[in-house]
Amino acid sequence: MKAKETFFSKRIYPLLFMLIVTVVCILATSGLYLATQDRAMANELSFTRRAILDAAGISYQPTQSGIETAYLQNIEEQQGYFTALVANDTRYIILLEGPGLWGKISIMAGFEQDLKTFSGLAIVSQNETPGLGARIEEPWFTEQFKGKVPPFVLVEEGTADAADEIDAITGATRTSEYFRNLANSAATEASRIIGRQ
Amino acid sequence: MAKNQLKKTFLAPLGKDNPVFVQILGICSTLAVTNKLQNTMVMTLGVMFTTALSSWTISLLRNHIPSRIRMMVETMVIATFVIVVDIVLKAFFPDMWKQLGPYVGLIITNCIVMGRVEAFALQNKPSLSLIDGLASGLGYTYVLMAIAFVRELLGTGSLWGYQILGSWWTNWAIMIMPPGGFFMLAIFIWIVKEVITKEAKHV
Repeated sequence: MKAKETFFSKRIYPLLFMLIVTVVCILATSGLYLATQDRAMANELSFTRRAILDAAGISYQPTQSGIETAYLQNIEEQQGYFTALVANDTRYIILLEGPGLWGKISIMAGFEQDLKTFSGLAIVSQNETPGLGARIEEPWFTEQFKGKVPPFVLVEEGTADAADEIDAITGATRTSEYFRNLANSAATEASRIIGRQ
Repeated sequence: MAKNQLKKTFLAPLGKDNPVFVQILGICSTLAVTNKLQNTMVMTLGVMFTTALSSWTISLLRNHIPSRIRMMVETMVIATFVIVVDIVLKAFFPDMWKQLGPYVGLIITNCIVMGRVEAFALQNKPSLSLIDGLASGLGYTYVLMAIAFVRELLGTGSLWGYQILGSWWTNWAIMIMPPGGFFMLAIFIWIVKEVITKEAKHV
């Protein structure tokens, strides 16, 4: 039954076959990628804008168009940072990166005009332990920085009381410490970036 | 006869040939994505889509693929479907895409997909292979959903993102960490094996 192996069937045909399959697959995925590229980029932009709005402490409709409207109305892009005019006060927003327990943590940190008081804080990316360190993404955690001035001290989860106290996350002491360090460095970093201009 | 075969092909992966708890395939993702029902659902839909269509495509090509390069062709086809899932998620469900992170891309290495293609699609006709792939995906889906149900409920007190248990509930953080996945999977396999071996003894 088996056909005799010729040079063609043994060497050329497999090569040609693989080549054709590869070309077809690449064309299909590239086509789909190009067709959705605009959408994907818009999503990416929306993520960043949402983080900036959160850091500036500006409320918005949680849809893509709502985020865009609020962003365009409120946020000014500067060199290396962002500003927002809220009730005649300028707020400054910077992108900040620092080490976490497993990998880099990037945040958007927003400051009031004094460049000391947090107007808000939002996580851009993090790789902490799911269910423990990754809880830094939960709103209750990021919102507690609002209106507070670094440096901060960590206290047990649910007990923060004084103006410089921040609830740590139970079971994620190291992540909490790294995050506190990052937040503490934010004000200095903001002065450095904005003062340079 | 044909109908019988169809039924058998469809039912086997749901029960006695289940890819997860009988063949113990695709365990990596079983542990990784089952801490939330929503993520699990999207992940399993991705696997179902990939298994079904890869099996179908390979089955269509089965008489033309030179056997010495068949694995390369299979991998190429599987990777293509996975990239399709990834691109669609990225464009239309960006939040979900961000949460699943690298796991969508890792469907490529899910042994269930390659396993079904190698073991079934290469010998059977396209329609039957499509059913087999779909059923294998379904068998994977319900096991993962069952595990995710317990993990999300005990780990965060919620289901599908909605808070179910009140503030009296203390979250079992271990449930949403990888060890929780190991425990749940082991318990699941234990229960199922117990039931299956009991049935086998009666026969």
